[in-house]
Amino acid sequence: MGRFIGGGNAALNFATRTGTSNVLVYEMLGGAVWMTGWIVVEDVGVALRDEQMKGTLEQNFLAPVNRFILLVGISLTDIAITTAIFLIVVGVTLAFTMPGAYLAFFQAFLILLIGLIPLFGIGFLFSGFVIKFKEPYIFTQMVNLIFGTLTGTYYPVTILPYWVQFLSNVLPQTYVISNMRQIVLANQTLVNLYGSIFVLLALALIYPAIGYVVFKKLEKDASVTGELAKY
Amino acid sequence: MKDFHSYVRYPAWLVGDLVSTPLWFFFFAVGVTLFAPTTQTSIYHGYSFFFFGFIFIILFSTTIWGTGQSVRNEQTAGTLEQFFLTPANRMTLILGRWARIFITDLLVIGYTTVLLYLFGGGPLYLYEPGLFTFTLVLFEVGSIGFGLFFAGLTMKLKSYNTLSNLVFFGYMILTGALFPVSVIPMPYRSISLAIPFTYFIDLMRHAALLTPTILPEGLEYASAVLLAFVMLLLGFVMFNWIEQDARAQGSIATS
Repeated sequence: MGRFIGGGNAALNFATRTGTSNVLVYEMLGGAVWMTGWIVVEDVGVALRDEQMKGTLEQNFLAPVNRFILLVGISLTDIAITTAIFLIVVGVTLAFTMPGAYLAFFQAFLILLIGLIPLFGIGFLFSGFVIKFKEPYIFTQMVNLIFGTLTGTYYPVTILPYWVQFLSNVLPQTYVISNMRQIVLANQTLVNLYGSIFVLLALALIYPAIGYVVFKKLEKDASVTGELAKY
Repeated sequence: MKDFHSYVRYPAWLVGDLVSTPLWFFFFAVGVTLFAPTTQTSIYHGYSFFFFGFIFIILFSTTIWGTGQSVRNEQTAGTLEQFFLTPANRMTLILGRWARIFITDLLVIGYTTVLLYLFGGGPLYLYEPGLFTFTLVLFEVGSIGFGLFFAGLTMKLKSYNTLSNLVFFGYMILTGALFPVSVIPMPYRSISLAIPFTYFIDLMRHAALLTPTILPEGLEYASAVLLAFVMLLLGFVMFNWIEQDARAQGSIATS
């Protein structure tokens, strides 16, 4: 498809826009972060829906467990598996295509781990929506597609219009994808990228805080209106 | 109307369709334009080319998951026999579902065009709107025929998802929805050339972007008209035949 549109200069056009000719690694890093993010948001958000469908939500809520720990805990196994898959798939691809880039890969993986924290906040939001609106899958699909489009999964966000870039800049995956590409493909280090890592750390505090507050509010409303038991 | 009522009963479905479908387009289209020459016109052409591919895909998905799934949906809900016992024509069930999804498709295509402009994809190129509309009508006539056949097939085979996925991905790859069939290597290109949808798509793209046609233009239009009406006729005949057979075998109710 790309070759058809770009003709013989397709690879050159790609390199001009992205700063690298390594199409495989460039696209794989974006795609892998997007998929990992999708799993985190969906797992955290949908975990309560599963409990709701099984009729065990109230029992979980009555147990002497902090909601925060409950929300994170019930989705942690899936997230650990997904992260391990990322580690293996991206690691093996880099070992074949860019042998010797171990240190870069390690730094990129650290950025991914930091980037997962704000996603938990988005997952908390969805947990709240599940309690209120019940049907989570359509919402998680929409939001993950918005993330995929706005965060530069398969392209640099700089080619998007300015008003879209403004939205991109408040999403954590934008920084994760951009920083990972910088480290793996442009020989940057965590130290050089301290500015955007600082922003990412700030988002890692802001998103979970907002997500948890909204979740608690929706949970409280549902306990008053009797929505908890409905599914 | 029945299908429309069911659809609007769940606003989340409507919102999901309206938001998710264009997002899938942008998600891939922006990535593909990275390979286009850096001039603005080339980027706009790249978007237009991909956008028409997106239109061909969602139109066919209407055939598969709209027309084709209509009978099977009633079957799994256990309401097919009740429907067949009413004095309503069989085709109203199938065409009703097709119409509802086709209207949603047009809505999605319309506002995705606006979003494309806002996203920096420029104006959508449509050089011959009259011919494009004419070929779109042929595409729809042919696809209703194919949908009728497919509806009958799924009523008989029951297993739906595997078959529909196979047909859908086969269509995407073989008919040149996202790229011209000329890039498909020769032994496989013959399969593409034996599929009627290849010509509908080729003519729509030709009318929209003035791309070269597979056959001489006049011959290809004549073939498309013939193919569209033959497909419609065959669809009716096959559906009726499968239904009669299912009645005789007592397999209509089996879900």
